[in-house]
Amino acid sequence: MSATLVPETASAASTMRRNFWRGVWRVMKRKPSRMAGVVILAGFILMAVVGPMLLPEHLPGDTSSITQPPSWEHWFGTDPQGRDVLALVVKGSRYVLLTAAVTALITVVAGTAIGLFSGFKRGRWDTVLMRLTDMKLTIPGLPLLLVLATVWQFGSPLQMGLVLGLLGWGGVARAVRSQTLSLRERGFIEAARGLGLSTSHIIGRELLPSMAPYIAMNMLISVTGAVYSQVGLFFLGVLPYESDNWGVMLNLAVFQAGAMVTPTALGYLLGPLLAILLLTLAIVLVVDAMDEIFNPRLREE
Amino acid sequence: MITGTGVVKTFKQRGKLLGAREVRALRGVDFAIPKGGAASFIGESGCGKTTLGRIIAGLESYDEGEIAIDGVSMSALKPKQRQPHFRKIQMIHQDPYSALNPTRTIHQTLHAPLSLRARQTGRPKSWIEERAAEVLTLVGLDPGTVLSRYPHQLSGGMRQRVVIARALTVDPEMLVADEAVSMIDVSLRLGILALLKDLRERLGVRVLFITHDVATARYIGDDGELYVIYRGQVVERGPVDTIIADPVHPYTQSLLSAIPVLHGLELPGEQPVVPLESLDDSRSEDGCLFAPRCPFRQERCTDERPLLQVTEGVPQEHACFYPERRSVIARPMSEV
Amino acid sequence: MVQQAPGVRIDGLTVVYKTPAGELPAVRGIDLTLEPGSITGIVGESGSGKSTLALSLLNAVQPPGRIAAGRVEIDGLGDVVGLAGEQLRKARGRHIGYVFQAAQNSLNPLKTVGKQLLDLGRSHGVEDLRGLVREAKDLLGRMGLDGARVLDSHQHELSGGMRQRVGIMLALVLNAHLVVLDEPTTALDMITQANILKIVREVHAERGLTTLVITHDIGVVAEVADRLAVMYGGRLVEQGPTREVLGAPRHPYTKGLIRAIPRLVGDIDEAQALPGRPPTLATVPKEGCVFRERCALRMDVCDTVDPQAVADGPRTVACHAVTVTVKEHA
Repeated sequence: MSATLVPETASAASTMRRNFWRGVWRVMKRKPSRMAGVVILAGFILMAVVGPMLLPEHLPGDTSSITQPPSWEHWFGTDPQGRDVLALVVKGSRYVLLTAAVTALITVVAGTAIGLFSGFKRGRWDTVLMRLTDMKLTIPGLPLLLVLATVWQFGSPLQMGLVLGLLGWGGVARAVRSQTLSLRERGFIEAARGLGLSTSHIIGRELLPSMAPYIAMNMLISVTGAVYSQVGLFFLGVLPYESDNWGVMLNLAVFQAGAMVTPTALGYLLGPLLAILLLTLAIVLVVDAMDEIFNPRLREE
Repeated sequence: MITGTGVVKTFKQRGKLLGAREVRALRGVDFAIPKGGAASFIGESGCGKTTLGRIIAGLESYDEGEIAIDGVSMSALKPKQRQPHFRKIQMIHQDPYSALNPTRTIHQTLHAPLSLRARQTGRPKSWIEERAAEVLTLVGLDPGTVLSRYPHQLSGGMRQRVVIARALTVDPEMLVADEAVSMIDVSLRLGILALLKDLRERLGVRVLFITHDVATARYIGDDGELYVIYRGQVVERGPVDTIIADPVHPYTQSLLSAIPVLHGLELPGEQPVVPLESLDDSRSEDGCLFAPRCPFRQERCTDERPLLQVTEGVPQEHACFYPERRSVIARPMSEV
Repeated sequence: MVQQAPGVRIDGLTVVYKTPAGELPAVRGIDLTLEPGSITGIVGESGSGKSTLALSLLNAVQPPGRIAAGRVEIDGLGDVVGLAGEQLRKARGRHIGYVFQAAQNSLNPLKTVGKQLLDLGRSHGVEDLRGLVREAKDLLGRMGLDGARVLDSHQHELSGGMRQRVGIMLALVLNAHLVVLDEPTTALDMITQANILKIVREVHAERGLTTLVITHDIGVVAEVADRLAVMYGGRLVEQGPTREVLGAPRHPYTKGLIRAIPRLVGDIDEAQALPGRPPTLATVPKEGCVFRERCALRMDVCDTVDPQAVADGPRTVACHAVTVTVKEHA
């Protein structure tokens, strides 16, 4: 029996991984809405990565057709400089998505690490870290960003993502901590300690996978949060207009092209707005699948 | 030998406005479980039996007294140094549903402790797989079908077997089974009990069985010792069958009287003991702890606390001033 | 309104649950009569359908489950399966008292027991709330509790046994005469269990009730019930007077279940676990006998034909092997 087992398990890990992705595929197939979410999300990522490469660095303006309504030539019309709105949305997507990705990464890594550490160690460390988190949670985000905007110009999406990420990990830390506190009372964690397994094993292999759906959901939600925050900042006009960002477009559409009163500028407003809406929708649709992806029972059924 | 002397544990409940309330979980408990032996702690919930089991498994600290594992005193060691000793004592939890990580396959669950073991003992990697199959076979599961499964794909009985298999991966000297069958389907319980008994006989693993159901305690082995615990104190202690057949402490008698009689198969005992229900003074700290509920209490019982002792004519130890045999348990009709 | 114990006749009851694999029966073709004034015990393991059956008495099977066929006739109420809406809500509580499986958790943690009692009274249009409270205190006093104090308490201030008694009080206080107790003693200690069972017996006799006890523990049924019904895989495999069934079980499952009970005396090796495991909704055989996978008496016919319940005096058994021997004797 053992002889037949040995060669079999050499590939056990890779089989497991294959099974996992097959399970993910099954979960996604269950609802068409999830597939739609994934397709839209993939489309946005493709747009952000490849899109700006296909377009010139400075979009050519056509002064003969400024602030045009949507047409076959310009699907969302043109801006007051005669540039194609769709091309602007594509160019702006890189900034928006890169910021969102950096924010999500920082939020999740910092939030999970602090939450796990706090919930697992408990005691003094927990108290200190959670007071810190509370303090951070009480800092009003938007005013702080406005203040920071006067110092930094946020020309780079990385800079923006870093700041938003550092402002955003509090909620994740709290959620992860409470999850850790409840999971550590479960029999399997106690058993792992009783068996003498290392702390890194307990955290990495036992705790983290059980929390994966929460973490993944939080990550996706923080992506939408990051999109709103940065677009909001740019829309308010407190940041320089040089950046390619949907927020800049919204600001210009409303305050320069007068989209609220001029019907011809409506396309200029709708372009970035629709992009934000679609991106958020895609994330909401994908979040729906997270619980089933990371729960082996729901995945296999 | 795994021994405990005078183990005391007090829980402090904080958060109350007027200071801390103390709950005495254990009031100086002695026990000794010899190599290959079996012991059962029985009592109602809240009597301290689970706390004692967790202390023995190293999952809980104790305030006073001494635990010694194979002659090594635990109190003298630093927490880190205790770990290898306590690892010889593995806990089997009541709930096989939360005792296994739902996101890990059985293979992964067994692999982790085994690879640690392989590293410690310098065994090759192939040993891990062999041993995983071996422990599963030991607990009566087919490794071929079980290894790749997730816990939710197994029945309660199978999960509990996996939990036992996982405990066996570290070659324990004792298994502490805390109500290990109470959440398992009735028709499968006996199988788990038989497995624990079998492991005792084949591997010489000690079994400490914690339960509120006296009848199951017999199935770990009729050579085992029974400890009847009431409010943190051992009130009766002796060989399982002696105590079941001839209990002398009124609390033990109440416990045994409360076991349902299978009318039609059994006849009820002639002198069942029903404890008094006193809602207020049952937590009294004076005299015998059971006195407020004892139907046979005398004046002395409320003034003085009886300690575990041996008296003439009674084979088992007991903590009662007026020990008396009563016929409380149901007898099969075929025997009468 | 019926004031004496009602009888209940369950006839061909089938309850199905909607699953990705289609509608699967949790309870199939159950015929069971609860005589007025009797205590009936239903015994079954997890997945046997015993709780679903109990909920059907209240017509309270929740989606994705539904009663697909059959009748549940209760004296003074008619066929419960046909009731709906306000009629049904009134029937629960007034006619049928239900003590929930986890009475430990079925109380609202934020309200005192007394408040919950008043809520119950108001929602059933009780005019004399004082009378209701008096009745509740009487009932609690009858069960050995200090009524006034209990009504003033929150759930967390009561022990498991006390909560269970509160559950029984709430089920009876509206003067229901049909009471369903779902796992009344699970998670209780032995002494408390014995206490509750004694109370169930006494209250049953004093108030003239028809009682149904659902449990996985044969001991509980043996202590309280006049009649015993054994469920397995959604089917009723055996029923009859408790003492007769326990003394001389006929269905191989009943036999195995009784033999699997740890005993206080006798040879340890005499008790034996049943091989295999109880079926779930998805693994219950679609045709043939539901128990055949674990059965020592399995025959060819068991794979294809579902054994019908065959009556023999007060007892019925649904097993091909048993029916054959009964016929041979006849």
